Amino acid sequence: MKLYETTIIYDPGLEETRINDEVERVTQPIAQAGGEVIEVQRWGKRKLAYNIRKRRDGTYIHVKHKSPATLIAEMDRRFRLNEGVLRHLTVLAVKESPRAAEDAAKAEGLAAPVPAAE
Amino acid sequence: MARDGESRSFRRKFCKLCFDKVERIDYKDDRRLSRFITDRGKIVPRRISGTCARHQSQITEAVKRARILALLPFTSDQYR
Repeated sequence: MKLYETTIIYDPGLEETRINDEVERVTQPIAQAGGEVIEVQRWGKRKLAYNIRKRRDGTYIHVKHKSPATLIAEMDRRFRLNEGVLRHLTVLAVKESPRAAEDAAKAEGLAAPVPAAE
Repeated sequence: MARDGESRSFRRKFCKLCFDKVERIDYKDDRRLSRFITDRGKIVPRRISGTCARHQSQITEAVKRARILALLPFTSDQYR
Protein backbone atom coordinates (compact mmCIF):
# COMPACT_ATOMS: atom_id res chain seq x y z
CA MET A 1 0.00 0.00 0.00
CA LYS A 2 1.17 3.44 -0.85
CA LEU A 3 1.01 6.68 1.02
CA TYR A 4 -1.45 9.17 -0.42
CA GLU A 5 -2.56 12.70 0.24
CA THR A 6 -6.12 13.60 -0.59
CA THR A 7 -7.41 17.14 -0.48
CA ILE A 8 -11.10 17.74 -0.80
CA ILE A 9 -12.83 21.08 -1.21
CA TYR A 10 -16.39 21.02 0.07
CA ASP A 11 -19.13 23.48 -0.58
CA PRO A 12 -18.77 26.36 1.92
CA GLY A 13 -22.50 26.17 2.63
CA LEU A 14 -22.21 22.80 4.36
CA GLU A 15 -22.51 22.91 8.13
CA GLU A 16 -19.83 21.61 10.36
CA THR A 17 -21.76 18.48 11.32
CA ARG A 18 -22.21 17.67 7.65
CA ILE A 19 -18.49 18.16 7.05
CA ASN A 20 -17.77 15.80 9.93
CA ASP A 21 -20.05 13.23 8.32
CA GLU A 22 -18.28 13.67 5.02
CA VAL A 23 -14.86 13.23 6.62
CA GLU A 24 -16.18 10.10 8.25
CA ARG A 25 -17.34 8.86 4.86
CA VAL A 26 -13.80 9.31 3.54
CA THR A 27 -11.90 7.83 6.46
CA GLN A 28 -14.14 4.87 7.17
CA PRO A 29 -13.71 3.06 3.83
CA ILE A 30 -9.96 3.50 4.15
CA ALA A 31 -9.92 1.66 7.46
CA GLN A 32 -12.34 -0.94 6.12
CA ALA A 33 -10.17 -1.65 3.10
CA GLY A 34 -7.24 -2.35 5.37
CA GLY A 35 -5.68 1.04 4.94
CA GLU A 36 -4.65 3.51 7.55
CA VAL A 37 -5.65 7.12 8.10
CA ILE A 38 -2.52 8.90 9.20
CA GLU A 39 -3.69 12.44 9.54
CA VAL A 40 -6.76 14.57 8.93
CA GLN A 41 -6.14 18.26 8.56
CA ARG A 42 -8.96 20.75 8.52
CA TRP A 43 -7.87 23.89 6.80
CA GLY A 44 -11.30 25.41 7.29
CA LYS A 45 -12.91 27.87 4.97
CA ARG A 46 -10.52 29.38 2.46
CA LYS A 47 -10.95 31.76 -0.39
CA LEU A 48 -10.62 30.05 -3.75
CA ALA A 49 -8.19 31.45 -6.29
CA TYR A 50 -10.99 31.25 -8.83
CA ASN A 51 -14.68 30.48 -8.62
CA ILE A 52 -15.73 26.86 -8.76
CA ARG A 53 -19.41 26.29 -9.45
CA LYS A 54 -19.99 29.95 -8.59
CA ARG A 55 -18.53 29.50 -5.10
CA ARG A 56 -15.84 31.87 -3.93
CA ASP A 57 -14.82 29.88 -0.86
CA GLY A 58 -14.45 26.27 0.00
CA THR A 59 -14.00 24.15 3.08
CA TYR A 60 -10.71 22.31 2.75
CA ILE A 61 -10.03 18.90 4.21
CA HIS A 62 -6.66 17.26 3.80
CA VAL A 63 -6.22 13.56 4.55
CA LYS A 64 -2.98 11.65 4.66
CA HIS A 65 -3.58 7.95 4.36
CA LYS A 66 -2.29 4.57 3.32
CA SER A 67 -4.73 2.87 1.03
CA PRO A 68 -4.86 0.04 -1.45
CA ALA A 69 -4.70 1.37 -5.01
CA THR A 70 -8.14 0.06 -5.87
CA LEU A 71 -9.71 2.26 -3.23
CA ILE A 72 -8.28 5.41 -4.79
CA ALA A 73 -10.33 4.86 -7.94
CA GLU A 74 -13.41 4.20 -5.85
CA MET A 75 -12.82 7.33 -3.79
CA ASP A 76 -12.46 9.36 -6.95
CA ARG A 77 -15.75 8.00 -8.25
CA ARG A 78 -17.53 8.88 -5.01
CA PHE A 79 -16.16 12.40 -4.94
CA ARG A 80 -17.37 12.93 -8.47
CA LEU A 81 -20.86 11.81 -7.54
CA ASN A 82 -20.92 13.85 -4.35
CA GLU A 83 -22.60 17.21 -4.99
CA GLY A 84 -21.04 18.72 -1.89
CA VAL A 85 -17.52 18.24 -3.23
CA LEU A 86 -16.32 21.15 -5.32
CA ARG A 87 -12.89 19.71 -6.06
CA HIS A 88 -10.70 16.85 -4.97
CA LEU A 89 -7.14 15.78 -5.60
CA THR A 90 -5.27 12.67 -4.56
CA VAL A 91 -1.51 12.52 -5.02
CA LEU A 92 1.22 10.20 -3.89
CA ALA A 93 2.75 11.63 -0.76
CA VAL A 94 6.48 12.11 -0.61
CA LYS A 95 8.05 10.23 2.22
CA GLU A 96 9.30 12.42 5.00
CA SER A 97 12.26 13.81 3.09
CA PRO A 98 14.56 10.77 2.83
CA ARG A 99 17.49 12.95 1.81
CA ALA A 100 17.11 15.23 4.78
CA ALA A 101 17.33 12.23 7.05
CA GLU A 102 20.37 11.03 5.14
CA ASP A 103 22.03 14.42 5.43
CA ALA A 104 21.34 14.51 9.13
CA ALA A 105 22.84 11.06 9.52
CA LYS A 106 25.88 12.08 7.51
CA ALA A 107 26.33 15.27 9.53
CA GLU A 108 26.13 13.22 12.68
CA GLY A 109 28.59 10.71 11.29
CA LEU A 110 31.01 13.51 10.53
CA ALA A 111 30.49 15.27 13.81
CA ALA A 112 30.84 12.15 15.92
CA PRO A 113 34.31 10.86 14.89
CA VAL A 114 35.95 14.27 15.29
CA PRO A 115 35.64 14.51 19.07
CA ALA A 116 36.49 10.81 19.26
CA ALA A 117 39.76 11.36 17.34
CA GLU A 118 40.89 14.09 19.68
CA MET B 1 32.52 57.12 -13.73
CA ALA B 2 30.67 54.07 -14.76
CA ARG B 3 30.86 53.09 -18.37
CA ASP B 4 27.95 51.65 -20.30
CA GLY B 5 28.88 48.08 -19.65
CA GLU B 6 29.49 48.64 -15.98
CA SER B 7 26.56 50.88 -15.26
CA ARG B 8 24.11 48.09 -15.92
CA SER B 9 24.02 46.35 -12.60
CA PHE B 10 25.00 42.83 -13.37
CA ARG B 11 24.36 40.15 -10.87
CA ARG B 12 24.56 36.48 -11.35
CA LYS B 13 21.21 34.77 -10.85
CA PHE B 14 21.03 32.02 -8.35
CA CYS B 15 18.43 29.50 -7.37
CA LYS B 16 16.58 30.93 -4.38
CA LEU B 17 15.34 27.51 -3.40
CA CYS B 18 18.85 26.06 -3.32
CA PHE B 19 19.90 29.07 -1.30
CA ASP B 20 17.17 28.38 1.24
CA LYS B 21 18.11 24.68 1.11
CA VAL B 22 14.58 23.68 0.21
CA GLU B 23 14.44 19.92 -0.10
CA ARG B 24 11.05 19.57 -1.65
CA ILE B 25 8.60 22.27 -2.64
CA ASP B 26 5.08 21.42 -1.61
CA TYR B 27 1.94 22.12 -3.62
CA LYS B 28 0.18 23.16 -0.40
CA ASP B 29 2.69 25.92 0.21
CA ASP B 30 0.87 28.50 -1.90
CA ARG B 31 2.65 31.44 -0.26
CA ARG B 32 6.02 30.20 -1.41
CA LEU B 33 4.73 29.15 -4.82
CA SER B 34 3.13 32.52 -5.44
CA ARG B 35 6.64 33.95 -5.75
CA PHE B 36 7.14 31.85 -8.85
CA ILE B 37 4.08 32.91 -10.78
CA THR B 38 3.53 36.18 -12.60
CA ASP B 39 0.64 38.51 -11.84
CA ARG B 40 -1.14 36.84 -14.72
CA GLY B 41 -0.74 33.51 -13.03
CA LYS B 42 1.89 32.13 -15.38
CA ILE B 43 4.82 30.14 -14.10
CA VAL B 44 7.96 32.27 -14.18
CA PRO B 45 10.53 30.75 -16.55
CA ARG B 46 13.92 29.70 -15.29
CA ARG B 47 15.71 32.29 -17.35
CA ILE B 48 13.92 34.98 -15.35
CA SER B 49 13.81 33.49 -11.88
CA GLY B 50 17.21 31.79 -12.06
CA THR B 51 15.82 28.63 -10.51
CA CYS B 52 17.83 25.46 -10.99
CA ALA B 53 16.44 22.63 -13.10
CA ARG B 54 15.61 20.39 -10.18
CA HIS B 55 13.66 23.03 -8.32
CA GLN B 56 12.02 24.40 -11.46
CA SER B 57 10.50 21.05 -12.26
CA GLN B 58 9.29 20.78 -8.68
CA ILE B 59 7.77 24.25 -8.93
CA THR B 60 6.02 23.37 -12.17
CA GLU B 61 4.46 20.27 -10.70
CA ALA B 62 3.51 22.01 -7.47
CA VAL B 63 1.96 25.03 -9.20
CA LYS B 64 -0.14 22.79 -11.41
CA ARG B 65 -1.41 20.85 -8.43
CA ALA B 66 -2.08 24.02 -6.48
CA ARG B 67 -4.11 25.34 -9.40
CA ILE B 68 -6.37 22.31 -9.34
CA LEU B 69 -7.05 22.97 -5.67
CA ALA B 70 -7.73 26.66 -6.35
CA LEU B 71 -4.83 27.66 -4.14
CA LEU B 72 -3.31 29.44 -7.11
CA PRO B 73 -5.06 30.93 -10.12
CA PHE B 74 -4.92 29.51 -13.63
CA THR B 75 -5.17 33.09 -14.77
CA SER B 76 -5.75 36.38 -13.02
CA ASP B 77 -9.26 37.78 -12.73
CA GLN B 78 -8.53 40.93 -14.72
CA TYR B 79 -7.75 39.05 -17.86
CA ARG B 80 -10.65 36.68 -17.76
